[in-house]
Amino acid sequence: MKKKSNFSDYMFLVPAFVIYTSIVMIPTFYSLYVSLFKWNGIAPKVFVGLKNYTDLFFSDKIFLIALKNNLIWIALTLVFTMAIAMGLALLFNKEFRGRSFFRSYFYFPYTLSIILVAIVWRRMYDPSFGFINEFLRLINLEELTNTWTANPKIALFCIFAAALWQSVGQPMILFLAGLQTLPKEVLEAAKVDGASNFRTFFSVTVPLMKETFVIVIATQIISSMKVYDIIKGMTGGGPANSTQTLATYMHAQAFLYDHLGKGTAIAVVMLLMMIAIVIPYVIYTAKSE
Amino acid sequence: MKKRINKVFFYVALFAIAAIWFTPILTIILTSLKSQADFFSGSTLFQLPTKIHWENFVEAVKVGNLFTYMRNGLIVSFIKVPLGILVEALAAFAITRLSVKYKTAIFIYFLFGMMLPMQISLVPINIMFKHLQLHNTYLGLCYAYIAFGTGFGILVLRGFFNAIPREIDEAAKIDGCNKFQLLTKIILPISKPAIATLFIIDFLGTWNEFLLASVIINKTNLKTVPTGLMSFIGEYTINYGVMSAGVLISIIPVLLVFLFFQRYFVEGLSGAVKQ
Repeated sequence: MKKKSNFSDYMFLVPAFVIYTSIVMIPTFYSLYVSLFKWNGIAPKVFVGLKNYTDLFFSDKIFLIALKNNLIWIALTLVFTMAIAMGLALLFNKEFRGRSFFRSYFYFPYTLSIILVAIVWRRMYDPSFGFINEFLRLINLEELTNTWTANPKIALFCIFAAALWQSVGQPMILFLAGLQTLPKEVLEAAKVDGASNFRTFFSVTVPLMKETFVIVIATQIISSMKVYDIIKGMTGGGPANSTQTLATYMHAQAFLYDHLGKGTAIAVVMLLMMIAIVIPYVIYTAKSE
Repeated sequence: MKKRINKVFFYVALFAIAAIWFTPILTIILTSLKSQADFFSGSTLFQLPTKIHWENFVEAVKVGNLFTYMRNGLIVSFIKVPLGILVEALAAFAITRLSVKYKTAIFIYFLFGMMLPMQISLVPINIMFKHLQLHNTYLGLCYAYIAFGTGFGILVLRGFFNAIPREIDEAAKIDGCNKFQLLTKIILPISKPAIATLFIIDFLGTWNEFLLASVIINKTNLKTVPTGLMSFIGEYTINYGVMSAGVLISIIPVLLVFLFFQRYFVEGLSGAVKQ
């Protein structure tokens, strides 16, 4: 009798398990397998062992650019996105008129499609008719005008600015939630003891918000590893492959050039890098309750 | 007096940041009012054209198929989101309130999907869908979306279900509820706030999804908004004004959803993470 009821309990898991396993888990393992072959999807697979990987790391310059760009992106996110998100969160943690309006105002771009944001920012960076160059001309700083996303040296940073505009609201909200859980007495005490705002922030606020920081840093690194839409929409990886990321290069190899082995190998590299970040995070999430 | 000056300074700074944040949208608005000729006549972005070109908006809808993309986005979202929440609720219910073994392990198994890069399963999905002829079908697209959504959904619902007192289960059992009824008649109605939050976040997530949609759907009349907008970029026949008008039009539905449900984003999301 008891056994029977147990079995029916597992039935509740079946739909999620089947759907998730068939689309996420089995394909993940199949990708590991495909990455060991040279294959265009039509002709028979040719087993090449780890050649796809060694090719990537030792003879594929574009792959190395993509890898470097992802690392740059992570660094930029951890410095700029987090600093601005924290700044805004501190601002909106104060009581003032219009607070909830401004909070929503800065959050709103996060609800937009990234492709849409990409089109918007293409207008910002347009060398002839874009806001930035037009504005620089307006204030007589013509010499600072640039081709922005068409300039391989700075294109990635330009795209990052667009991504920051779009996504800063999300860590802002997380920080704000963290700030609101801080015990008021502790902050008061620091003030009474004569600690400066600056000092209070780094010695009291930050340590107390450790949990929030873990979540924000983990989610920011994960999304930095996945950066795709904004690049696809703004430069498609150009000019001269200077803005390729692992995700865009994987897509190009697998879906444009039909190099399925190489494409999946790039995805596996992404996966391994993510696992290194994700496992501690998953353990933390599962434990924290 | 000092307090007053501080306050003025505070608002000036706030409005300055807000103004900078608005420049992309301002650019799109200014561009949307102009014809291609206005740009090449030498007038700057900041000068209004002699004649406002409202027809850009009409053109964007007609040539850009915008309403088709929006309709498709609604169809996909309204299939995916409720079904996804049902599937996630069943699983979250099992790992919070039923006698299932290895609950934490099962939970972690689903959590992985939330963080794995979608790229890792993209090639196999593409091959599988080719065999099953699921390309250019909403069945295929929604099935894949539900799969990728399970991690987050279970995370949110599990947190909420755990917070509901266990005594309720006993009471329901005594009143003759079976397990399925316990879920549908008691747990789900209590969880309305969590489900509402999940619904809104999931809806926008589905509405805005690009990568998977671009791999599975390539027929223009089936595209959703992001993949549809992407073809704006490629189309040289569409000029800047029309493109910008199209962008503004496609912001409107999202803006409306946001205005109506903003408390779910701002409060719900942080709640989900804490639980």
